[in-house]
Amino acid sequence: MKISVCIKQVPDVSAPITIKDGTLSQDSDRMVLDAYSASAVEEALVLTGAHGGEVEVVLVGPDKAKETIRKALAMGAASGVHIHVEDMSGLDSAAFAEILAAWHKQSSYDAVLTGKQSQDTDAGLTGGMLAWKLDLPYCANAVGLTYEGGKFLVKRQGDTGQEMVELESPCLVTCSNDMNDPRIPSLKGIMQSKKKPVKTVTLDDLGLSLDGVKGGVVKTEGKGFKDVPGREPGKKFEGDPAELVSQLVNLLDNEAKVL
Amino acid sequence: MSIDTLTPPAGLGFELSEDHNMIRESIRDFVEKRVAPTVMERDENCEFPHDIVSELAEMSMLGIYHEEKYGGAGFDTMSFAIVLEEIARWDASLALTVASHTSLCSAHIALAGNEAQKMKYLTQLTSGKALGAWALTEPGSGSDASNMKTTAVRDGDNWILNGAKIFITQGSVGSIYVVLAVTDRDKGAKGVTAFILEKGMKGFSYGPKLKKLGMNSSDTCEIYMEDVVVPAENQLGGLGQGFIDTMKILDGGRIGIGSIAVGVARGAFEESKNYAQERSQFGRPIGQNQAIQWKIVDMGVSIDAARLLVQRAAWLKDNSRPYTKEASMAKLFASEMCTKACLDAIQIHGGYGYTKEYHVERFLRDAKLLEIGEGTSEVQRMVLARQFMK
Repeated sequence: MKISVCIKQVPDVSAPITIKDGTLSQDSDRMVLDAYSASAVEEALVLTGAHGGEVEVVLVGPDKAKETIRKALAMGAASGVHIHVEDMSGLDSAAFAEILAAWHKQSSYDAVLTGKQSQDTDAGLTGGMLAWKLDLPYCANAVGLTYEGGKFLVKRQGDTGQEMVELESPCLVTCSNDMNDPRIPSLKGIMQSKKKPVKTVTLDDLGLSLDGVKGGVVKTEGKGFKDVPGREPGKKFEGDPAELVSQLVNLLDNEAKVL
Repeated sequence: MSIDTLTPPAGLGFELSEDHNMIRESIRDFVEKRVAPTVMERDENCEFPHDIVSELAEMSMLGIYHEEKYGGAGFDTMSFAIVLEEIARWDASLALTVASHTSLCSAHIALAGNEAQKMKYLTQLTSGKALGAWALTEPGSGSDASNMKTTAVRDGDNWILNGAKIFITQGSVGSIYVVLAVTDRDKGAKGVTAFILEKGMKGFSYGPKLKKLGMNSSDTCEIYMEDVVVPAENQLGGLGQGFIDTMKILDGGRIGIGSIAVGVARGAFEESKNYAQERSQFGRPIGQNQAIQWKIVDMGVSIDAARLLVQRAAWLKDNSRPYTKEASMAKLFASEMCTKACLDAIQIHGGYGYTKEYHVERFLRDAKLLEIGEGTSEVQRMVLARQFMK
C-alpha cells in the first residue's frame, strides 16, 4: 500500500502574530508541521504499519519548508516530495489543489490523505478540490480510518453525529486532528530521516508556471487583515447575595434577554 | 609572550544544526505532554517514573551520544545538553536520571570497555533494558579518591569486592553498575580500578532510598559489597586506570549537570515571567514594576551566559578538543546561577512561591544538588585554580 500525504508548513500558532500595515507579520523562524497534516501522517503510518507499504509526504513550499518534510520523515514516512515554490504569496486553496493534482497525476498511490484544513488559513478547501481534480472518491473530516479488501472505511464526524463511509481505492480522505495523537519523532527517527530520499520538483516539471497558476487558477484575493476587537470588560457586582441574585436575574431578563 | 589562560581554546565556532533543533522540538513536545503534568506528584511521593523512563528509552533518549552499533542514537554531546536542558525545565530529577545513566555509567563503559563488554552491557543501557549506576563516592570519600575504602582483591579468575558506596543515583532501580575499587593501596589514585557489577550478584545489595531535600523522584541510595565475586572479564579498563578514567568521565558529567542547571533556571525564569504578568498588586501586574523586571532580566542574562558556557564545553568535547576547564567553568557557573535564579523566582512569587502549589519551590530544592553533585563548587574551584594558576 502506498499512501501519499499532503502536508503543509504553517506558522507556529504559539508564536506571536501581529498585523502590520494590513498584512500579517510573523516570526518566519517559527514554522512547524501543520497539526492536521501531522494527524494525516500519523494515520498513514498506522495504516501502513498494519497492512505493509509506505508513506510518501508531498509538500508545496519554499526551501525552508524542507525542514517540515524532514519532521514527517522523522515520524516514519519513507520519502518526501518537495514541490518547490519560493514565493507563496497570493496562492489560495485552488492553487494548492492545482499543483498537488499535477503531481498526483504522474504518481501512484492507494490513497491520498490531507488535513481537513490547515492551521494557517483554516479554509478547509484544498482536500476537496484535489479530490475533484483527480476524480477520486472523497470523504472529509475523518476521525477514523481502516482498510479491508481494497476498500477504505472512513469514520467521519458530521454536524449531527458520526457516519461510516466506504471508499474504493484509490481515494482521498481529509483528516481531523481528533483522529489520533501524532507520534513524537524519536532520536533514531531523526537520525534516519537524514538518509531518506526527498525529491525536489519544480512547477515547470509539472507543466505549470507560477504566473499561470496565479493568473488562471487563483480565484480569491486577500483584502487585508484586521485585529479582532478585544472583549468588552464584564460587570462586577458586590453586596448582599439576595439582592445580587435579583439584580442579575433582572439584567439577564431585560437587558441580555436570554431568559 | 604571555599566555592568556582565560580564552583559548575559545570554541565559539558552534551553531545549532537542524538536527539539534529537531531534537529540541521532539523532547520539548514529549516533556510538555508526558512529564510536566505529573511532576509535582512524583516529587511529593518520591516516586521513580519507570513508565516515563521506558518511553524515553523508546525515543532513544537513553543513549543519545553513544554509537549506533551499540544501540545508541549516534548524536553528539550538544544534543545531550539540549535534551537534558529540556527535561530539566520541568523535571530535574528525571534529567538527573538520564544524565547519570548516560554520561557516567554508560559513558564509562563506552570509554574504557572492550568490545565484548560494550556488546553485553552498553547495548542494554542504550536501549533502556537496563538502567545504569556509577559508584565512586563513599561515606568517607568523594572527590578524594586516595581515601577510597572499597577494595578489590584478585582471586584466580575473579576479583573479590568489599566496601560501600553512597549517594548512588539509580542505586536501587539500576541493574548495571560501574564500581570503583582500590586494587593497589600503595599506588594511591593510580591504584584504583573500575569494575562492572550486575544486580543480583551474591553479596551485592542496596540500602533504602535516601530521603533528600530535592531531586526526590530520582533514585539515590547506598550500595554494599560483601565478598562479591566479580569475574575478571568484568574489569573495566586497565588495572589502576580507574581513577584516571573517572576524571575523564566527570569532565563529561559536568556538561550534563551544567545543562540541567540551565534547564531548571529556565523553568524559574519562565514561571516568574508568566506569574509577574498575571499577578496584580496596587492595580497593575507586578511585572510592570522595575524591581521585578530587573530580577527577570538578570535571570535571563545569566541563563544565556550559562548556556553558552555549557554549549561551548559540549562543542569542544564533540570536536575532540580539551574541555576539562570549560566543563568545570560551565558546571560551576551554571549551578550557582541556577540556585540564585530559583531564589529570585520564589521572591517574585512571594508567599505563593513558598508553597507547593507552584513549581518554583521544587526548583530551588532541586537546584541545590547541582552545586554539590559530580564535584562541589569548591572542587570545581580547585580544578580551575590548577588550570588558571599553571
